[in-house]
Amino acid sequence: MTPFELAEPTSLKEAIKLLDPDDPTIRPVGGGTALMLMMKAGVFKPVKLISLRRIENSYSTIAATGDGLRIGAMTTLAALERSADVKKAAPLITRTLKTLSNIRVRNVATVGGALAHGDPHMDLPPVLMALGATLTVMGPKGERKLAVEDLFAGYYETVLDKDELIAEAHVPAHGTKKAAYMKVTTGSADDWPALGVAVVLEGDAGGIKSARIVASAATDKATRLKSAEAALIGGKVDDTLLAKVGDAAADEAEYIADVRGSISYKRELMRVYVRRAVRAALEGAK
Amino acid sequence: MSATKTISFTLNGAPVTADVKPHHNLVELLQGQFGLTGARETCGQGLCGCCTVIVDGLAVSGCLYLAAFLNDGAEVSTVEGLDTPAKLSPVQEAFVETAAFQCGYCTPGFILMVGQLLDEHPDPDDDQIKHYLTGNLCRCATYPQVMEAVRLAAKKRKAGAAA
Amino acid sequence: MATTTQDAAKVGAQVGRSVQRLESREKVTGRAEYTHTMRLPNMLHAKMFRSTVAHGRIKSIDTSAAKKVPGVLHVITIDDVMKVIPNPYYGPAFHDQPILAHEKVRFVGEPVAVVLAADPHVAEEAAQLITAEYEELPPVFDEVDALTSKVYVHDELKPAGTFADLKHLKDAKNTNMALDYRLRKGDVDKAFAGAAHVFEHEFKTQKVLHLSFEPHATIADYRDTGVTLYTASQGPSFVRTEIARLLGWPENKVRIKVPFLGSGYGSKLYIKLEALALALSMIARRPVKVALTFEEMFYQITKHPCTFRIKSGLDKDGRIVARKCEVFWNGGAYADIGPRVTQKSGLTATGPYEIDNVSIDSYALYTNVTPAGALRGFGVPQLVWAYEGHTDMIARALKMDPVAFRRKNLLREGRPHATGTILKDAATEKVLDKLVERMNWSQPFDNGSGTVKRGRGLGIAIKAVITPTTSVAIVNVSGDGSVTLYCGTSDMGQGSDTAMAQMVGEVLNIPTESVRVTPRDTDVTPYDMGTLGSRSLFHMGHAVQRAAEHARDQLKALAREVGEPENSNTPIRELFVKRYGMQAGNVIGTGVFKPDYVPPAPGTGLSDNVTAFWMISGAGAEVEVDTETGHVKVTRLVNVLDIGKAINPQVVESQISGAASMQIGFTMFEKMHLDGGQVTNASLADYKIPGFHDIPPMENITVDTYQSNGPFGAKGVGEVATFCVSPAIANAIDDAVGVRLMELPLNPETVFRAIRAKAGQPLGDE
Repeated sequence: MTPFELAEPTSLKEAIKLLDPDDPTIRPVGGGTALMLMMKAGVFKPVKLISLRRIENSYSTIAATGDGLRIGAMTTLAALERSADVKKAAPLITRTLKTLSNIRVRNVATVGGALAHGDPHMDLPPVLMALGATLTVMGPKGERKLAVEDLFAGYYETVLDKDELIAEAHVPAHGTKKAAYMKVTTGSADDWPALGVAVVLEGDAGGIKSARIVASAATDKATRLKSAEAALIGGKVDDTLLAKVGDAAADEAEYIADVRGSISYKRELMRVYVRRAVRAALEGAK
Repeated sequence: MSATKTISFTLNGAPVTADVKPHHNLVELLQGQFGLTGARETCGQGLCGCCTVIVDGLAVSGCLYLAAFLNDGAEVSTVEGLDTPAKLSPVQEAFVETAAFQCGYCTPGFILMVGQLLDEHPDPDDDQIKHYLTGNLCRCATYPQVMEAVRLAAKKRKAGAAA
Repeated sequence: MATTTQDAAKVGAQVGRSVQRLESREKVTGRAEYTHTMRLPNMLHAKMFRSTVAHGRIKSIDTSAAKKVPGVLHVITIDDVMKVIPNPYYGPAFHDQPILAHEKVRFVGEPVAVVLAADPHVAEEAAQLITAEYEELPPVFDEVDALTSKVYVHDELKPAGTFADLKHLKDAKNTNMALDYRLRKGDVDKAFAGAAHVFEHEFKTQKVLHLSFEPHATIADYRDTGVTLYTASQGPSFVRTEIARLLGWPENKVRIKVPFLGSGYGSKLYIKLEALALALSMIARRPVKVALTFEEMFYQITKHPCTFRIKSGLDKDGRIVARKCEVFWNGGAYADIGPRVTQKSGLTATGPYEIDNVSIDSYALYTNVTPAGALRGFGVPQLVWAYEGHTDMIARALKMDPVAFRRKNLLREGRPHATGTILKDAATEKVLDKLVERMNWSQPFDNGSGTVKRGRGLGIAIKAVITPTTSVAIVNVSGDGSVTLYCGTSDMGQGSDTAMAQMVGEVLNIPTESVRVTPRDTDVTPYDMGTLGSRSLFHMGHAVQRAAEHARDQLKALAREVGEPENSNTPIRELFVKRYGMQAGNVIGTGVFKPDYVPPAPGTGLSDNVTAFWMISGAGAEVEVDTETGHVKVTRLVNVLDIGKAINPQVVESQISGAASMQIGFTMFEKMHLDGGQVTNASLADYKIPGFHDIPPMENITVDTYQSNGPFGAKGVGEVATFCVSPAIANAIDDAVGVRLMELPLNPETVFRAIRAKAGQPLGDE
């Protein structure tokens, strides 16, 4: 890693002022677990990092709201994993975090970082997207709301300006919805996923009323599979319907080839795992 | 060049002060300024666990953790703080007795993580052990012996607590 | 440390006891010394600038921007090196590897220039500012292509002169072949012509690497009067010889110190970073540390990818009457120890089978990729992958049970191996019998249903140890009776220090725990050929046993000299006091071992004593295959091994499970991906190795054997559990879903594609 400067503002507003919309060598850093990888590889050589670790504590807290959760962007993934409020309102998040990276990374990595990094292999973005989470984004001109669904612009790309920061995430409670996240690895068991599938459903095996199905990792960004969702609505959930849903998902997604699999193979994984994820959601994941 | 800042913190129970550059990680700080080489940088990506350090009670990957992230007053613990000249910690004893290491390079990271595991789950089942240690890799693949070591360490800790 | 086994420390019965590793305390407290974390006062750090092209002539190297970075002391290219070392080529088999790229680059990642600075971050920043221009040459990547390609990696071959079978390659031009090993027995053509069945298959293995968790590291401290190298090496004696040769110095001015190794598996053999560190220290006139990052290990040394064409002729009863083996080893840009891998494994390419007519050709080939060397098995796992797959395919085609087919053809004790050497202390039958028993082979097997199919498979293998090699040991009994062992075997986790101390304890009748094993230092530890190929316990073990016996005999003589009765139990210290009037003096025992050996006959490769000992192992696997995705779960792995007498059963168990688990990685998913010679997954994020969840339920069984010519009945154990894992799993997959995989790794996509191809619905190539 080559030398750089580090600024440590004590407020979110101050941090935003230190960012420069036109200078890609200045970047914010939360836990740093993802950014450090790019810096060590020499892919990113910062002149200056703006640490968010000393901004207001409120951005590191989780609160139960009337209809769900407010999660500060600097909340660590470990805090999210251990939160009783999260387990109650959105148990899918708690379940997902158990197999997300490893404990040391979860102790340091932040919710805001996991989203803003734009890495399609991360597990939290598809889950938040399937749950219909929204974000409060702060910039020099004030705050704006953004659905997680609208955050990602492409491979490691988001719609955020370089001087905008995610301040909080708002997650609607599951309520009676049924949810599952399935992670498929093709290397070792602890590999980054070749495919992630998050499913949140209303209804039961007799008929699904609404569905959000999100794929990640096999695609260049976490992506809602709307034709698969549409195929799932209405009819009785049996092998025939699930086969249609799987086929719709397989046809709809756009894939990237990498060391974890070819496009053709990932398409087949999609076909199978969308089916399996819907079934897992309906059966009640452990 | 980048500015140096001075941080005062506790290292294995003793108060210390260090001059830290922004681009130095925790492993470099421990090796370079304190001569502690138990935390080692291997993969450099937080995946293997060789660089494990405990900061304010939480395990972190020292290779991905900027030294400048330490707060004044932080409590930092490394493998070197676990034993006394007379006695190893129960986890260390268990690793020795079950031969739960070969080359020993990843061992300090495993030992610190097993300590965390047993703090959280004093009587872990096999799934809990595997889940907790999934981010610690051993290229010598001494995994079955580490499983044994964890079970033995849990017993030793309980016996120690009861005594 | 109050521990139960520690209390078992007692006189007598040191061998065969699960002694805790002598270095236990250092390792669990994080205080064990490794080169990668060592520092010397006034030391500089080196960072390399590496080639971005696979094959090219260097037109220019621009170091000007790097030199301007504040804190940079030197930016060094081969021109600077040649001012201090005029002939900067090194290597164990060929003097083919330049200290930095010279005129040409031969693989992506080859070191071209080096920056020296006191701050490693400064050196890294400056190294990123170096640029080079190349005249690109066509590369050759594939080992089979390399044999006939008109692209030559080296303009002229330069054998080191160490090995007799390379002499004919001196000054050879227009070739990529760094060794052509051959064995001829009987009349293969005639036997094939008369065979009832002929089977021919081609198997391949992928490029994988060791990934020792302590990456390569060397610190050189050059003075005009001598040089000291601190290095993570599996062979301090060879490093000394080679460094002395490069300097034109006698060996006694070169000191090699090797602390514990954060493992090796063959990656730290012979000479790696040592020549570069030497040159840099000579130029800087300061200690210089060269320490690789994890990523840089992908450009240092790998295992050999291999193509193996195997052809067998059978009579109508299922007896193998002829076997022809053509093995192509992808050696990369520099030969390293590839030619020895080619020969020493090549001679067992026909497997543990008795075949009257045999032809083996084994080729070491230069290509434009990272050099390849030995990796836990010295080539044998690549061969077993092929011949045990081939064996199962034949059995399947002949509708014979794979075990019955193996039994029919098995090479048994007292029978001649293909080389002509009679099999001795090689428990092929016992291993196969035990494996069959543990796998319940005679019982029906549930092959699963629906989308999860089950299968089982097995394999059996043979390896010859690298022969002949030499080890020397010294046992020093001090005036107080305490004992120190000096031996050059590198303890890289295999527990050699402890095992050697157990042998000393056994001979001298003292507790193992009281024996100190000196860290390797060529100023005091005597010669050893190297820690490789499972040779140390046997060869160094013999030398240690002899040194201890030599010391014991001198102590007996001392007792007689001071008037003690025969077999008195007078403490050793008192013998010295009686002899010297005070606590003084030493007894020095020395031991040397080199086994008998008959070199292979030129032309035929035949020899009636080709190996000091044989290694035999078998493995059985049960698997579940998800037919919808190709995911394979190994639900059971049984390893059965002939290791002779176990010196330390607890260490042996971890060596066996560790070796088998490492091979699980090489079998299921490990692979270096290359694109135009560029490694595209040079990180632990993208090159995965086995973790807790990847280790199958495992049963490890050693059959009851005694190596009659081994020290205390022992022989090597470090590699033997790797041999059969891959073919056992592939054979089990075939049993489960009826597809045959000819190339490693057996990752889900590979399996799924084979399933779809068999169903007549091949997956697209997108």
